[in-house]
Amino acid sequence: MFDLETQIHSWSDHLRTHGNLSDADIHELENHLRDEIEDLIATGLTPDEAFLISVKRLGNVDAISHEFAKVNTENLWRHLLVEPVDSLAKQLNRRDITLVVIFALLAGTLVKLPELFGFGLLDQDGEIKMFFIKNFSFFILPFIAAFFLIKRKSELKTWATILGIFILAAVIINMYPSFDPHNTEVLTIVHLPLFLWLVVGVTYIGREWQGSLGRMNFIRFTGEAFIYGVLVMAGVMVLFLFTLGIFQAIQIDIGKFLAEYLLIYGGCAAAMITVYLVEAKKSVVENFAPILAKIFSPLFLIIMVAFLIVMMITGNSPFMERDFLIGFDFMLALVLGLVLYVISARDIRQPANLFDYLNLALIMAALVIDGVALSAILFRLSAFGVTPNKLAALGENLALLGNLAGLAWLYIGYFRKKFDFTKIIKWQTDYLYVYFIWTAIVAFIFPIVFRFN
Amino acid sequence: MNVSKDLVAASATPLILAILKENDSYGYAIIKRVKEMSENQLIWTEGMLYPVLHRLEEHRLIESYSSKSEAGRQRKYYRIKESGLTELELQKKQWEIVHNALDRTWNEESNS
Repeated sequence: MFDLETQIHSWSDHLRTHGNLSDADIHELENHLRDEIEDLIATGLTPDEAFLISVKRLGNVDAISHEFAKVNTENLWRHLLVEPVDSLAKQLNRRDITLVVIFALLAGTLVKLPELFGFGLLDQDGEIKMFFIKNFSFFILPFIAAFFLIKRKSELKTWATILGIFILAAVIINMYPSFDPHNTEVLTIVHLPLFLWLVVGVTYIGREWQGSLGRMNFIRFTGEAFIYGVLVMAGVMVLFLFTLGIFQAIQIDIGKFLAEYLLIYGGCAAAMITVYLVEAKKSVVENFAPILAKIFSPLFLIIMVAFLIVMMITGNSPFMERDFLIGFDFMLALVLGLVLYVISARDIRQPANLFDYLNLALIMAALVIDGVALSAILFRLSAFGVTPNKLAALGENLALLGNLAGLAWLYIGYFRKKFDFTKIIKWQTDYLYVYFIWTAIVAFIFPIVFRFN
Repeated sequence: MNVSKDLVAASATPLILAILKENDSYGYAIIKRVKEMSENQLIWTEGMLYPVLHRLEEHRLIESYSSKSEAGRQRKYYRIKESGLTELELQKKQWEIVHNALDRTWNEESNS
């Protein structure tokens, strides 16, 4: 059956991906198309005829975007920074940039603040103090959360809840003692940022945090923030090394000054700018992340299949050390990341394509390898007893395994046309709860269970 | 008859301003109005109209606002501004100069 709404959406999606058009432009053109269709239907045409003729009349996308491009001469980067024509959007954009600057300065200053009271960032050996590593998330994530709370015009109640979680988390982890060999403390350090990032996610999504659409956007946001973050941080590092280099040329060593100010403030600013960039111009990376995933997912698949084959031929079991379990956790996380990049960029209305099958193959390979690894490790766990590290690594492994297994099962169902793609997205977005709960358990409950060892 | 591209482009601004002077309007209606006024001789494309509208807005001759259409859809309407009216008067004078000059030379041609 011909569904006019779906067709119009695919048309504007096509415009979005293929043209040099802003969202406002697309909205206007879409309205234009609808007017045309309505007029044609009024003259007695059927919806599908009206749609075809209207699309034809609007002309092909290349021609339209070429005409628009003459006006939208801003290229990619200018597009990000030059204010859009719309005056309200301009004001909002200016406000966002102001927020980014203020928050970056505040976050940097917050890191420097303890130094005023004689509690510097580094200890006598020049190493960063445990306090700062442990509390690293609290210096920057609350500001990102606040940025979104302001942007989404959240209610006071939401502000209070989010702030409450941050404060509570900060109080708890700093009150916990830590005894040699500090296993649980390290686990807390690793899991706390993940937990808090999901809390930030709630502020990012705003009111619809329970809906799968909003959460999918957050997953997409996470992936894009990662790419942007790496790029921006690389920029900060280049600036750092360059400054160091030219001052060395005139025999002045400013390494200490740079490390204390440029890296701290630069790092905070990089995080805030990353968040701003991803939020301000969603569509720039939207085209980039899936391409990366599409390049690397076949390559990963080849490597993993090759690994499986070699393992079977040689009969070598590589799973004797528990450290390897962490390695396999990374493998699963990596596969999940690749799969998510592809899923998140995918138009749910499109039929299954090659990359969906590739995704499934990748997941299956990961499941088989991990299954072998897990069986070996479970045996060792039962033989040598449980430690917090082993248990955390195992838990992560099972969480990721469950996620991927679910995806594989749903993918198969989807290929057999048992249900549509939205079910896959719903599964993935609902699964965020599992990560939320698990990271909370490791960060806050493990230390108690294992007596802060 | 096809009106040359350059002429269409040159006449776009005064036509849009004149139409918006009558009342506020939106892209699709403007194209229809132009078609009607020119007795189907001037068929504008969307690819031409919207960029011109956006440029006029950037030059602050017109402004846009969104409003609900009869069908309940959000639509972007354009409204002429004070400076737009001044610009329209200016353009009118310029076109009159060109028009008069052409008129006279063509009349002389046919008289001689």
